[in-house]
Amino acid sequence: MSKANRSWRIWGGLGLLVVALVLVGVAHIWSRQQGTAVRVFNLAELLPGNHTTGQYSILVDEQGRVLDMMARRIYIHDEFISADNRRYRVIRIEGNKGICREIGRERISLDGNQVPTMAGRIASGGGIAPVQAAGSQIVGVYNSHDDESYVPSDGSESIPGNGGVLRVGSAFADHLRSLGLTVIHDTTSHAPHDDGAYRRSRRTAMSLMQKGAAALFDIHRDGVPDPTFYRRTINGQDVTMVRLVVGRENQNMSANLDYAKRLKAAADARYPGLIRGIFIGAGSYNQDLSPRAMLLEVGTHTNTLQEAQRGVTLFADVVPPVLGVAARPAAARTPSTAADWKGVLYVLLAFVIGGGAFLLISAGSWKKAVARLKQFTSIEWVNLLGWQRLRKPGVDRNKKTGREREAVELAPVPHQELEANDERADWQKD
Amino acid sequence: MTGYTIGVFLLVIVFSLVYFGLAHRVLDRLYLNDRTAMALIVAMIVGSFINIPLTGGRVVTSINVGGALIPLGLAVYILYRAGTTREVGRALLGAVITAVVLFGITYITRGREAWNVYALNLLDPLYYYPLVAGFVAYLVGRSRRAAFVGAILGVLLLDIADLIFYLRLGLRGTVAFGGAGIIDATFMAAVVAVLLAELIGEVRERMQGGPELAGHSRSLLAGLKGPALKRKPVDLNPADVNEGGPKDKGGEGNE
Repeated sequence: MSKANRSWRIWGGLGLLVVALVLVGVAHIWSRQQGTAVRVFNLAELLPGNHTTGQYSILVDEQGRVLDMMARRIYIHDEFISADNRRYRVIRIEGNKGICREIGRERISLDGNQVPTMAGRIASGGGIAPVQAAGSQIVGVYNSHDDESYVPSDGSESIPGNGGVLRVGSAFADHLRSLGLTVIHDTTSHAPHDDGAYRRSRRTAMSLMQKGAAALFDIHRDGVPDPTFYRRTINGQDVTMVRLVVGRENQNMSANLDYAKRLKAAADARYPGLIRGIFIGAGSYNQDLSPRAMLLEVGTHTNTLQEAQRGVTLFADVVPPVLGVAARPAAARTPSTAADWKGVLYVLLAFVIGGGAFLLISAGSWKKAVARLKQFTSIEWVNLLGWQRLRKPGVDRNKKTGREREAVELAPVPHQELEANDERADWQKD
Repeated sequence: MTGYTIGVFLLVIVFSLVYFGLAHRVLDRLYLNDRTAMALIVAMIVGSFINIPLTGGRVVTSINVGGALIPLGLAVYILYRAGTTREVGRALLGAVITAVVLFGITYITRGREAWNVYALNLLDPLYYYPLVAGFVAYLVGRSRRAAFVGAILGVLLLDIADLIFYLRLGLRGTVAFGGAGIIDATFMAAVVAVLLAELIGEVRERMQGGPELAGHSRSLLAGLKGPALKRKPVDLNPADVNEGGPKDKGGEGNE
């Protein structure tokens, strides 16, 4: 019976797989015949390619005006904050175009006039290095995609292990150092440029944090073909714009988004036009490691390396005040923001909802779930508590007389007395 | 630390508590008791700060005590404690399939952003690793322990694939096995994979109306003391119960 059951299961599984494959094939052919603007599935995407650039999405509003471009696939519900602080959400996809609707305007002037004055003071000070406040002020800089390069300067868009983006990271780190921060720029290679890059760079990011980095910057570049899209003239020099990217698949999303808005507000006050926008995308980008982790996209592959270096250097100017390490002692810490608290709430909420759902499913009914929860609190931790109790003097269970020990060893334990352990075994049935 | 105030700290602390709590519950299901599981978590946290360098030069390799050495040791221990060679075989097969699937995904995303490949940008690699490991382990072994072994060995095999990539192409590179310690993709994948296998197992068990009783040895069934089992012993045909014999050690989500 069990054999028949098992073979049925295996064949059933295989059958399902075949049906799924056939359906994928049919969907592919159908979408090609239909010539729909939205391609459901493109088999060509599954072939290994060697281009990080060239494929890009255009974000337009409902009137067809171009709002933004970026070398990544856009999905419905993706959001971004444009340079002029309008927040958009993608509501429809047509080919490589994402049609967006404005969903609000961000008020990110940052606690009244705090940053503008701060930035102004630093600017008027004529490059005075801020006094280092007490405590560690280490900033970690790394490059998840160390191959990304700038074609006019580097000759190629991708140089694994030695991309131009490493030198953009160096320019950023050098300028932060000149502003009085301690910066660790880790140039560890995370090649190849694939989905494992963040698994590799996660280790680099972690080692930076272990060295005391309080804020992390992961430096990238975009892959939009038009160099003028990222080029701006600020203070008389050609620079590239900088895009901030926040991953929404982690518990630090709202804290990091808030941090991104502060960085943008500070940059807007000091160097208007420097920030391309804030993109809130799928993914995590190792931002689950810290609520002060940011991904920067400095220019695109058709910009020159020097433009990108100048752009990131300007951006570096606004980092210390936002991190709260400017000269003012009062600003020695970034205040907790509502978003930080929201993050705490989300983690707790996710835990309660997820745990509750699992409990309900595994117990089968609300009543049993409650009973299990009680059991969990009373039994699941019993060993740990017992361990502590054991350590207390006077409760040492090993101190038994020989006769007692004999009695314990020999006496058969009636089944009913094992109840607690059985319940535990049931809960933990492995 | 710079800019880390109470809200941020609390966020980090709450996340750590939840994560370590889950990790502890997961270890608790791997032939370990509460105390050992707790001791291992502490050892892994401390071990996260210890990197043992293996090679230097162009390709730097190192192994993290908390992120790779202890999890690897645990995986080996689980295989060693496994009841039958069949269970070991299934766990290893699961690990190889996990590694192959993950490497396949890595291969098709090579040279482009993961988010430019269909559907992969909907989920960060950090999350689909354990999904793959957990799902494969459930299909191959229907076992939480196999899920753990599969995730750990699967991700470590991916690192070895990286090492081969660097050596073959003559690129500079770093392979830090489990380098991010207890929150490296290696152990994180294992934690989520075990929880996922447990979730699939429980949902399936619930859907079929309780654990499957037929075809399993009496000694295995004795471990099941759940309400579902208590309700129906009358339905059981004793001949059915013993049919499977001791070699059929794999239970439905009870391995």
